[in-house]
Amino acid sequence: MDKQLDFEQVGKRMPYNVPDGFFDQLEQNVMAEVKADDTATEKPKQKARTVKMAIRTILAAAAAVALFFVVTKNLPTSESQTDTFEFVELAYNNLSTEDQEFLMEVYEEDEFINDNNAEYYDEDI
Amino acid sequence: MADDKGIIVAIRENPERGFRLLMASYKEPVYWHIRRLVVSHADAQDAAQEAFVRMFRNFQQYNEANSFKAWIFRIATNEALRLLGKLKNSTMLSLDEVTADMLGTKTDEHFDSSDAITMKLQQAILHLPAKQQLAFNLRYYDEMSYEEIAEVAGSTAASMKVSYNIAKEKIIAYMNNND
Repeated sequence: MDKQLDFEQVGKRMPYNVPDGFFDQLEQNVMAEVKADDTATEKPKQKARTVKMAIRTILAAAAAVALFFVVTKNLPTSESQTDTFEFVELAYNNLSTEDQEFLMEVYEEDEFINDNNAEYYDEDI
Repeated sequence: MADDKGIIVAIRENPERGFRLLMASYKEPVYWHIRRLVVSHADAQDAAQEAFVRMFRNFQQYNEANSFKAWIFRIATNEALRLLGKLKNSTMLSLDEVTADMLGTKTDEHFDSSDAITMKLQQAILHLPAKQQLAFNLRYYDEMSYEEIAEVAGSTAASMKVSYNIAKEKIIAYMNNND
């Protein structure tokens, strides 16, 4: 005899169950994995930032050196260090305000140059 | 409990908080959907966990023109298929290959054989071709629209409606013929 299955009688019951507290544990496991993911992706960002800073410092140092040579290349050969600094100062004064600001900015922000200067002055003292 | 739009907005504003809302709404439906496909609790736990992690990682790929619920269930379905494929040492099973695999014995301590009618219903569902099985489960248990089911299965709403009706007839026939 063909019977009709009463789906309403069965409802959504299933022959499956889960351990107590399983769904809370599932959520904790997922959130822990997701947070571990976040931590792992932060490290390369930090490395990338460090590399960018290093590149910026090297470029700044190179720019400062290049500007120094540009400023001094047409100066006559000086006989003393004092004369050289005077010529450099004169040449610096002849630069445009924009170039002067750039040069000062590079000098002030460049840790490499400033560290070397600090050591130089320390040795002098 | 937040609705889907609220969850999406929350994830965009604060991914961790938003994702907690997503889990609050979907951890049980997603687990049970996967469990019905893979049968064993341990496998369902692994697949559900991986599915949620994938949702978090790939949230940017969700297209708001589509149903969020369907997107979630599609990832869950794919993860269940991936796990079953892994168990069979292949990369990912097709829907029809999965059907045969699911017929194997996968019961464990989290299986209650005392409720005869529900056991029989699950057996009937597991005898269906995978597309019909997916259509029946998502319609009967998750109350999804045919449009949403089509998005999950990568098919059309009309095709999924036909699959559901055939599945229902086959289940009734199975229940009647296996008393």
